[in-house]
Amino acid sequence: MKKILAIALVLCLAVGMLAGCAKEAAPAAEKTFKVAMICDSSISDGGWGAACYNGMTAAAESRGWETAYTDAIDQSAYADTMISYCDLGYDMIFAPGNQYSDAVVQVAADYPNVAFAVLNGSTELPTANIMSILPNADQIGSIAGIIAGLMSKTNVIGFIGGMELDTTKSKLAHFTSAAQAINPDIKVVSAYAGSFNDTAKGMELAASMINEGADVFFGDASAVDSGARQAIDQANGDNVTIVDIGQPADLLGQNPCVVSSVVTDNAAMIAICLEKVETGTFGNEVVFGSLENGAVYLGKFNDALVDADMQTKVADYIKQLQDGTFGN
Amino acid sequence: MNWNLLSEVLISAVRMATPLLFVALAELYSERAGLVNIGLDGIMAFGSLVGFLVCFWTGNPFLGVLCGALGGVLVNMVYAFCTVTLAGQQIVYGMALNIFAPALASFIYRVVFGVSSTLAQATLMKTVSIPVLKDVPFLGKLLFDQTPMVYGVYLLVIVTAIYFNRTKSGLNYKAVGEYPKAAETMGINVVLHKYIACILCGFLAGMGGAYLTTCYVNTYSDGIVAGRGFIALAAVIFGRWSASGVLLACLLFGFFDAMQLRLQVGTDLIPYQLFQMIPYVMTLIALTIFGSKIAGPKSKGKPYYREER
Repeated sequence: MKKILAIALVLCLAVGMLAGCAKEAAPAAEKTFKVAMICDSSISDGGWGAACYNGMTAAAESRGWETAYTDAIDQSAYADTMISYCDLGYDMIFAPGNQYSDAVVQVAADYPNVAFAVLNGSTELPTANIMSILPNADQIGSIAGIIAGLMSKTNVIGFIGGMELDTTKSKLAHFTSAAQAINPDIKVVSAYAGSFNDTAKGMELAASMINEGADVFFGDASAVDSGARQAIDQANGDNVTIVDIGQPADLLGQNPCVVSSVVTDNAAMIAICLEKVETGTFGNEVVFGSLENGAVYLGKFNDALVDADMQTKVADYIKQLQDGTFGN
Repeated sequence: MNWNLLSEVLISAVRMATPLLFVALAELYSERAGLVNIGLDGIMAFGSLVGFLVCFWTGNPFLGVLCGALGGVLVNMVYAFCTVTLAGQQIVYGMALNIFAPALASFIYRVVFGVSSTLAQATLMKTVSIPVLKDVPFLGKLLFDQTPMVYGVYLLVIVTAIYFNRTKSGLNYKAVGEYPKAAETMGINVVLHKYIACILCGFLAGMGGAYLTTCYVNTYSDGIVAGRGFIALAAVIFGRWSASGVLLACLLFGFFDAMQLRLQVGTDLIPYQLFQMIPYVMTLIALTIFGSKIAGPKSKGKPYYREER
């Protein structure tokens, strides 16, 4: 009985290998490229994960790629998940965050023919098959800081981070400096939830910041931000006095407290990577996203909360930021 | 420390301790019948999803909590069948629940809502304040201006304490966890008690999960449970398998967690990781100081074979 089973298995293997050969022999012109994304938070978290996933699908659609994703995975599963996609023959792995860098470096070394794109990856990260996609975190933080500096009436503004990533730290630093450049009396209260999923913790953090007097919020923590917005809405009641600045998608309308968003156009930057994979020029490069090339921009305003005068002021400061004269 | 801040920390502590308390009581009922269930995180995750969905569809948080609890029972029946009827390893099946249930929950969420960046938001349970008493300064808002779930869980602590220490049925229940063979010879139906324990455990843990999405936050996201099941597990051990001990453990953890969040907001010179350790470090310290020789129900973790000699 065992022998029959063994023979059957061997046959299966042999057929599988033949099938594999047949596939490789197919003409290259018919090849459909495939990209996969891994994510530690959920892709329907109404924040970071969702924006990255939508960016990838939009980019893939524009270039006729197939997509796949694995979300809500632990740190221990980053590498394994990527290896599975590599083995499945995916052409590119999209890792939407700085926290995946180590795992990407580890896997990329073993799979030189697979391209890896790391969103918010550092400038030192790229190798022959790794590219960083780097939206300008300084500018993102500064834009939010400009809005916060102009809008805060209590002179206290709040920042909630998920984990202490390099990009999060520089967002916080520029959020602070930009707000203080506009209004030197501004005090920034900040805290980290230590998670991107613990919505309840975001709520508690925002509630305690509101107690400290914070009236403009900015966050960098996926689902935790959703919790913060809920706490802000609850504190506001019917009269919106405490507001939140969303990112990385345009979150206007999701919660009453959202005043505007700092939008990162992930799709455009991912599409550049896809194109490079197609043409075989992938690697050793950083795709920057900034105000200058339109990959970072200010989303729509909530007109009920921000009058036209204030909107013009924000636009002027952002123009200065782009020209490099802001804060001088 | 001013009074306003202290009262705010305490209110937040109660808020954070409530889901823990539900789940810790769930584990208490399970372990008292000799079943160590480390699958609490999984049961909570499933309960939180079911609670959220029902609340989202019907707009009735109470129905959401009830269905979340029933969902918890359903998931825990897998554990019950494997550990009681098949006498399998409790840790293994508990862990299996932790892997299976959250994945099932996120699968169902994805099927229902698809992949969208818009966030589904449901109605939250309203607080019910008790007239007159809620105006008592300081304590009023803390004790008498909460959701019915909070009152319910404290009532449950009292009921549990009385049941285990003052009733015959409670003593029978504990006997099942201490020495099931002796209990069986005295005419106690051990298997039935173990199943009841699993139903109670699933119900309460599911309820704790549903509390997160119907009373606490108005959205569901994967990983919303964030390890609370394991904290509750620790709270049962820390609370020495008694209802009052469990209450104390959960409140203590909730208090230090609420405090660390406030401390983080107050300072920016000290690394935040240090603050995040506080609840865990304090729990460890308390465990060492108040540690006693009570080791919990004698037969916990051991499968019960009825016909074995």
